[in-house]
Parts: sequence; C-alpha cells; structure tokens
Amino acid sequence: MSEFKVVGQSVPKADALDKVIGRAKFAADISFPGMLYAKALRSPVAHGILQHIDYSAAAALPGVAAVLTGKDVPGANNFGIIIKDEPVIVKNGEKIRKIGDTLALVAAENEAIAEQALALIKVDIEELTPVLCPIAAMQPDAPKIYDKGNVLAVRKIVKGDTEAGFRDSAVVVQQQYKTQMVEHAYIEPEAGIALFDGDVVTMWVSTQNPHYDAKEVARNLNIGLNKVRVIQAATGGGFGGKLDVSVQVHLAMLAVVTRRPVRMVYSRTESIKNSVKRHPYTITMKTGADANGRLTAFECTIIGDTGAYASYGPGTLTRSAVHATGPYEIPNVKITAYTVYTNNPQAGAMRGFGVPQVAFAHEAQMDMLAEKVGISPLEIRLLNALRPGSLTATGQYLEQSVGIVSTLEAAAAKVREIKLERRGGRL
Amino acid sequence: MDKIKIQFVLNGETRQVEVEPDLLLIDLLRERLGLTGTKVGCGEGDCGACTVLLNGKNVNSCLLLAARVNGCEVVTVEGLGSYDKLHPLQEAFIAEGAVQCGFCTPGMLLSAKSLLDVNARPTREEIARHIAGNLCRCTGYTKIINAIEKVACADRHCACSREAEEGR
Repeated sequence: MSEFKVVGQSVPKADALDKVIGRAKFAADISFPGMLYAKALRSPVAHGILQHIDYSAAAALPGVAAVLTGKDVPGANNFGIIIKDEPVIVKNGEKIRKIGDTLALVAAENEAIAEQALALIKVDIEELTPVLCPIAAMQPDAPKIYDKGNVLAVRKIVKGDTEAGFRDSAVVVQQQYKTQMVEHAYIEPEAGIALFDGDVVTMWVSTQNPHYDAKEVARNLNIGLNKVRVIQAATGGGFGGKLDVSVQVHLAMLAVVTRRPVRMVYSRTESIKNSVKRHPYTITMKTGADANGRLTAFECTIIGDTGAYASYGPGTLTRSAVHATGPYEIPNVKITAYTVYTNNPQAGAMRGFGVPQVAFAHEAQMDMLAEKVGISPLEIRLLNALRPGSLTATGQYLEQSVGIVSTLEAAAAKVREIKLERRGGRL
Repeated sequence: MDKIKIQFVLNGETRQVEVEPDLLLIDLLRERLGLTGTKVGCGEGDCGACTVLLNGKNVNSCLLLAARVNGCEVVTVEGLGSYDKLHPLQEAFIAEGAVQCGFCTPGMLLSAKSLLDVNARPTREEIARHIAGNLCRCTGYTKIINAIEKVACADRHCACSREAEEGR
C-alpha cells in the first residue's frame, strides 16, 4: 500500500486557523479610508412599469456622493448566468418584474445617510397584474411578463412507448406533488467592496462565481475584462445562491463614478428578498409496474417556477427531467419539464439542483407501488435499481460504478442492526 | 446627540471611548475598533454570529447598546486566543472539522466558552441547548458539538479522558 501525505489523511482545512482566530476577511470586514456606503432602492411592487423617478432631493442631501438610476448604466444593463434577462437598474419606461428589482443606487458617507437618501427618492410606477402561479402563467390569456411569453424552456425525454407500457401494467400510481420555495439563508448576507484604482475596478466579494461576476461587470460597465478584477473574499456560505450576481455590478458602477472605495452589505431582509431560491415544483407523476413490482412505464410533467428571472432555471429543470425516474430502470418513459416565469422571487441553483424535488415524488411513488403489489419498499427498489448494464431514461448505457444496489443493501443491514439493538440483541 | 464616555475592559485591556447613545456594541467593535472577527448575520438577534462575552455570558452584540457595556468586561474572538497560543476550543474546532464557511465560528466559540466556564463537563444535550442561539447554515452542528465535547473531555477529571490515557 502506498503512503500518501494527503489522501486518506485527516488534513486541517486550509483557512480554518484564520477563521477560528477571527482574522479571516469576509467582504464586510474589509474597509478602506474614505470609503462610501452603498444602498439600493428596491421595487415595492412585483409587476409594473417604472414611469418616473425623481432623485433630486436625495442627490442634494449632504453626505450623498452619488445617486445612480437606469440611465447611468454604461453597458448592457442586463445579466444572468444562462439568459441575460435581469436589469442592473430598471430604466424609466421599462418593466419591473419582481419585488426587489433595483430602481436606484445611492453611495453616501455612512449607512444612515444612504438610508435617508433612499427615502427621499420618489418613484412613479404603473402597476400591472402580477402573475404569481406558474400554472396560471402558462395559460394563453395570462399577463405576459416577457414579450416572448412566460414559458422560458421546455425539456422533453421520450424512451419506448408509455401507452403500451401502461397497458401492460398490473398496477398504476398517479399523484401530484408540490414542493415549496426554499431560501438558502447562508449565514453571511451578500457583501462586497470595490475600488477604482487608475483604470481598473478591483473588488472583494462574497461569491461562488468570481469569473462570471467579472464578465458581468465588464459587459455592464462597457469596459474590457482586463479592467475588472474580482477577488472572492472569505465567503460565509453560498449553497448555490451566491453563483448569481448580487452587489458586484452596482459596486463597480459606484466606484467608477465616485472614484472612492464603496462597500455594500445586504441586510438579512434584503438578502432574503433579493437572492435566488430553490424552485417550487408542481410534479404530476404516473408510474406503472407488473404484478411482481417491476416498473413498466413512467410519465411525468414538471412545472418549475423560476420567478422573474431565469438564473439557473433552464439548467435546473433539465436536471430534474434527466433524474425524474430516480435511480430506477424503466423501459417506457415520457417526461416534460417546463421552466416558467412568474413575478415571484427568481429561483436558481440550490444544493441538489432540481433533483431533491423530483426525488420526493419518485420515492413516494415507489412506496405506493410496493404497497399495491404487496412487496416491501426495499424489495421494489432492489428489483428496479439501476445496475451495470442498465439503460437510463435518456438512453445512457451504464457500464460500471452504479452504487444504488450496494447503498440499499448497506442501509438495510444498518436498519437490521439498529432494530436488533433496540430489541436488546434478541431477534 | 451628546456622546457618552464609557470605560470597559475589552479582551483584557481597559478601553475608554466616546459613543453615541444609539451606537450598537457590534458597530463599536467592528467599525470603530476594527475588531471584525465578530460578524453580523441578521442584525436582530436571531443568528448569533455577533456573539461576544459580556461579563462571561454569551450575548448578541447586535442587540446591545455600546453604552450598556460601561464598567463591564467584553471578550471577542480576538481575545480568545492567538496564532501563537490557540484556546483549546480553537484547536478542537480545527482538529474536529468544525469550521466550514467560518462565519458562525467566532460566535460558536464564545458561546462554547461561556458554557465550559460554568460547566466543565456538559452532556451533548447541554452543549446543543447552549449553542441553540448560534445558527450554522452549513449545518455542521455534529462536528461543532464534537469539538466542544472534546475540550470538555480534555478536563482531566473526565471519564472519557481517563479511558484514553489508559489506552482503552
């Protein structure tokens, strides 16, 4: 056996020492002399058109260094990891698509002045009927959140013939499942600090995605990528939620305009209102099995509420479609997954990326099928589990390294051990 | 607003500062005194990231007015240990893998200290109850409790420590 220094050893985490000492620098821990504090004015309505914005009183307030609105965005004024549909600041005459859309930015000598300035900005919004349910959003007469329509993406998987499969089934279970929106609630709210030094914007940010952030800053400031430097500060949790842009473009704009260091730290309320969420799903699932419990056919429709902006929505729903059959081999499969815009908070990446929602559904189906067939939940899973040689729903031939059977067997052995212990060693 | 003169002991050192009547302890520590080890997670006393010790008790510094610590003793994570001389809790947190993103860590360490200072051998349940006000969103509670328990057991009167010495 070879000796490794790291593999197989318990190695202290590289930054653990700085973190237990209190020296690790999270973005909100960094400051520079002459630093300004930034705050954003957020939309109070979920759907509307920004008609007019008057920030003269805010700009005149002593201690305010800059007030920026949509017209001040030098570049594209849009960002998004897959589709560039989220505005940096909503411009006059343009759409507001969720509560929390940015309407203006303020940089001031301290946070209290910045808050005061926000309160002095007058906005005139023409309210539109918000669309808060993805199923309602899919109807032809639903108010359009985007001109292109509310269905952002459709993913279809077809394998075999499900009609024939259900005809040959001895038992069929059909159910609808709904999963809820989930907030990541990383313990550190979004934060960053930016400098404009010469002609380069440098920032330290709480992020999972510094390279992507740099591209979005460059596009929206209309400057070269070589003029943007994004440094990931110690990051207090992300769980997928810090893959999207938060303070980055706002900070860069304010640093360039004021030529002073600018720091922006979200309050917890602001973080919850403006960060991405886990997609809420409506899943309709129909699963058939023969009299022995072997799966015969599977149909599934998934509607994912991606909220006002795409974020990772199309990717999340693709992953859900691909994994909807779970770790089971089914000969006949038909899956359709819709990513739908609403005026809810935008949903994006979160631990598991669309798979936990469908797992909740396919595992409930397996339990119900087992009961109908008259076998145990373990038996029906072992009977149908993917193995080397299986074909997945997408037609992938699994050659090796399929762990579900050994995992089920190990879990079953542990259950037997615990049951035995509880009975005091008596079988 | 007239400023208030206060004097308090911060990490073993007597400090005299002038504070506004509405200044929070967390802002005094982080923004005025540059002690950024204490974190702000929620600003309303829910998450415990801002935990400091006030006369030995774990408190949320985001809910305390700075003026309130006049005449008191305050300990922040910076006063717990140093690179050269780590506190046993800091050592245990590193060794047990109890540090993930690290944002809750300073508050966790101080809450743990406030427990061990009055109860050197708490049960796992007592540890869990005592850190209930400190949220870890990486959900690394098992390892955090392991680390605190390790320090408690290092007390030489502890049964598990004796077992270890006897090579059992």
